[in-house]
Amino acid sequence: MKRFIIFLSTIFLSLQIFAHGPTPQKVQESVTINVPPAKAWALVKDFGAVHKWLPAIATTKVEKKGKDTFRTLTFKAGGGVYEKLRLIDNEAKKIKYEIIEGDVPFTDYNSYIKVRKGKNDNESIVQWTARFYRTYKLNPPIPEGQDDATAVAAVKAIVSPGLENLKKVLEAK
Amino acid sequence: MKIKKILLTSTIFLFIIYLVYLLNNEKFSNIKAKAYITNQGNNTVSVVDLHKLKNFKTLQVGTAPLGITILKQHNLGFIGNVGSENISVIDTNKDEIIQTIKLNTAPLSLTSSPDESRVFVTDWFKNKIIIISVKKLSVINSFTVGKTPSGITFNKKLNYLIVTNRDENTIEIYNGDTYQLINKLATGKHPFGVYTEDKFAYTANVYDDTITIIDLENWSTKTIKVGAHPYNVITHKHLSFVTNTQGDSLSVINLHTNKELKKISTGETPENLDIHQKLNLLVVTNWGSDSINVYDLRNLKLLKEISTGSQSRAFGKFILQ
Repeated sequence: MKRFIIFLSTIFLSLQIFAHGPTPQKVQESVTINVPPAKAWALVKDFGAVHKWLPAIATTKVEKKGKDTFRTLTFKAGGGVYEKLRLIDNEAKKIKYEIIEGDVPFTDYNSYIKVRKGKNDNESIVQWTARFYRTYKLNPPIPEGQDDATAVAAVKAIVSPGLENLKKVLEAK
Repeated sequence: MKIKKILLTSTIFLFIIYLVYLLNNEKFSNIKAKAYITNQGNNTVSVVDLHKLKNFKTLQVGTAPLGITILKQHNLGFIGNVGSENISVIDTNKDEIIQTIKLNTAPLSLTSSPDESRVFVTDWFKNKIIIISVKKLSVINSFTVGKTPSGITFNKKLNYLIVTNRDENTIEIYNGDTYQLINKLATGKHPFGVYTEDKFAYTANVYDDTITIIDLENWSTKTIKVGAHPYNVITHKHLSFVTNTQGDSLSVINLHTNKELKKISTGETPENLDIHQKLNLLVVTNWGSDSINVYDLRNLKLLKEISTGSQSRAFGKFILQ
């Protein structure tokens, strides 16, 4: 735990010092789930329940600071992230949040998940969009493991199995 | 006999109305109105007809195109490719690429001198402004500025070349001919886009959700709160519009009171914006939804969302008018 906190502080400091490179990266994936949109939205909007469907997450802890809501996620593989809730729009069925500090090979991560109606009332389409930058902020050459490809692969490794499992969890209920 | 006369008169009358209509229509459609949208995710530029509100052509450019500036007198478009570190030049009559200018550094944003003889490019990695001769279509000069120069614009009235330095939270004002530094001022945190009109400059400050307004004559500054992570700003009469990338909205600011009047919904992650003056159109690029939104400037109603390419940004003046 102590190591985790030190790691978080390091990442947090580095986020403050450096800026990101010029090209934001995007991962956008969708899944069709055979449940009504209201049911899919009920789970997706629950900021404290992400561990119930996102395979990489071990625990979720939500806390309020004034008007703002944050959560600490711990990864099953070790480490974790600290996130801020940006928006829950019940009308558009959209949730937005960002990573404030974290144990991940990408930075300036902003993400939103949307639920919309599929072909009929009992079908939902859930779309997850993430915008982020690679960790290396300085001039090329870019060190291995801190480039755009690494960042994209890391985000995809969360999003793809996440949506797949969201479908499994919702359809099983 | 009387009926015949009435019929003839009304036919002539209708014909005249028709002629007037045709003439007006011709006049209207003769106004140049195209938007050039850089799609950073798939290395293309979408060409959109702003009369028909239709995306009608896609041009292959260099890798990761971001910045743009349109030279309306020359009918040219300059596109900055961040990935391939070069500039693609578009002939806007034919909508074809006519030249590629090598830079060997990442071009972030572009603007031109008012006479369109020179194009200025911010060099993100080497902290420079690169100067391109439009006649020669090659680099002729460069000079050093502050750290991570982001937005660039030219104030015609005062002959100032203006640049925002994102990582040092400053704006720099240079003489437009000698490139001597005239002034350097603090802005909000992470100034990205910059716009100038009359004697003012406006910066969008990404990290503290504000815009800074700089008076270029007495150097006073004002700060106005906007939405989440603003990227760029533009003005029209007494209004200013700001893209809130993480708010999926535009802030509408009243420049008389310096207060936000309201927010208008955009597509996802709106980044940049430009105005077609004669057609009263406000165009916003949506990075997240791979599209542009076209609004009627008179009532701020959405006219149409038009699909473009992947990760549409178009940082700079992107409308041919």
